[in-house]
Amino acid sequence: MAEISFPLPDLGEGLIEATVLEWLVSPGDQVERNQPLVEVETTKSAVELPSPQAGKVVRIHGGPGDKINVGEPLIVFEVPDNTAGIVGTVPKEEAPKRRVRLSAVLDED
Amino acid sequence: MSNAILESEAAMADGTPNHGVEQLSMQQALNRALDEVLAGNPKALIFGEDCGRLGGVFRITDGLQAKYGTGRVFDTPLAESGILGMSVGLAMAGFHPIPEVQFDGFAYPAINQIVCQIARMNYRSRGTMPMPVTLRVPSFGGIRAPEHHGESLEALFAHVPGLKVVSPSNPHEAYHLLKYAATRPDPVIFMEPKSRYWQKGGVNFDSADGSDSPAGDSPTGANVMRAGRHVTLVAWGAMVARCLQVAELAAEDGIDVEVLDLRWLKPIDEAALVASVRKTRRAVVVHEAPLTSGLGAEVAQLVTQGCFDTLKAPVERITGFDVPYPSGDLEDEYIPNIDRILFGIQRVLEYRRG
Repeated sequence: MAEISFPLPDLGEGLIEATVLEWLVSPGDQVERNQPLVEVETTKSAVELPSPQAGKVVRIHGGPGDKINVGEPLIVFEVPDNTAGIVGTVPKEEAPKRRVRLSAVLDED
Repeated sequence: MSNAILESEAAMADGTPNHGVEQLSMQQALNRALDEVLAGNPKALIFGEDCGRLGGVFRITDGLQAKYGTGRVFDTPLAESGILGMSVGLAMAGFHPIPEVQFDGFAYPAINQIVCQIARMNYRSRGTMPMPVTLRVPSFGGIRAPEHHGESLEALFAHVPGLKVVSPSNPHEAYHLLKYAATRPDPVIFMEPKSRYWQKGGVNFDSADGSDSPAGDSPTGANVMRAGRHVTLVAWGAMVARCLQVAELAAEDGIDVEVLDLRWLKPIDEAALVASVRKTRRAVVVHEAPLTSGLGAEVAQLVTQGCFDTLKAPVERITGFDVPYPSGDLEDEYIPNIDRILFGIQRVLEYRRG
């Protein structure tokens, strides 16, 4: 397993920090890509940050009321070794789903 | 390079060849193939962005630098024109370069080196300067990656005289086709279906032939992956697995689908293609690349030429769309899905002349 750290991104033009309002995930949680991670407040607005990737949450930085600077670690994920460092995500093997049914009169000539 | 060659001979001495059947992911199968190629040919070199120390972003070259040294497996600057330009010089000097462009979309900056030099140097030199370059390109979509990471370039490369183009569909094929490609005297564009990298399958190391495959006793030509009577699905790369799923679903409706894995996209195995469609009398070609001037058009023409008298319907093409490859969230709408392929089958089944 490998760890991937996600730093607080720049949430708006020129913002340098944000205040944690509420964590929506805890260490140990398995999160999906785009799942809301945390609500933070900047001098402009309160926003929910979506997860940049799927993975297991290992650590979160800062509790409610704490300020985090842009570029500092916000959350650390654990991912399998064979997915660490790649762009994109490993596709899931899913059972095939269909809506279309075939109907044909086959004249076997 | 003498040190590198000595290192390689040491590796050959304690290298254990692969035998029997193993369950491997396509990543592992490709890694084994490259390991054997390096062990067997001291002139073979692997290089590209992150290929060395990291072992590749997809881990295809994992462990090879440690085993063969930095003289034979090495990282390059982030410049694809340089990676392929260097390949030209190395090939002239008698090496067998196996470069990697990290993602399909990064082949564009190297088009000049590929098309203007690698593809035609042998021709230009009247056969005195062969270009044994095996270019590995992680290809096609399906991993929710950003722009330039999900392109399907087969038609572009197949159009260039002097290049051969191949794409494996499963781990067994990946192992044998890469070993074969990396021992050719000609440039081969090796398109690895990146969405299939993690899927495991049986690799039979003992046969170049693929006794694990339903057919095919040679690393050249096309493979019938599933025999059927009513319609032929023609595909390559990641779409082969999807077409095999479609074939099982069609069987529930009483339709017997043959799946032909084209494997080599240049040259196309016309004889196998025509033989299959002469039997089923209907064909649907499936690819991820955009429709217009895609390889599906070439397949449709070869089928029309070879099966015109017996065809029951015009060849259907189920493909990506004529747009830039979309962002990850939209790729399920772009890549041919099961229902779109079933619709294509339905159209050739219900077509009536006149």
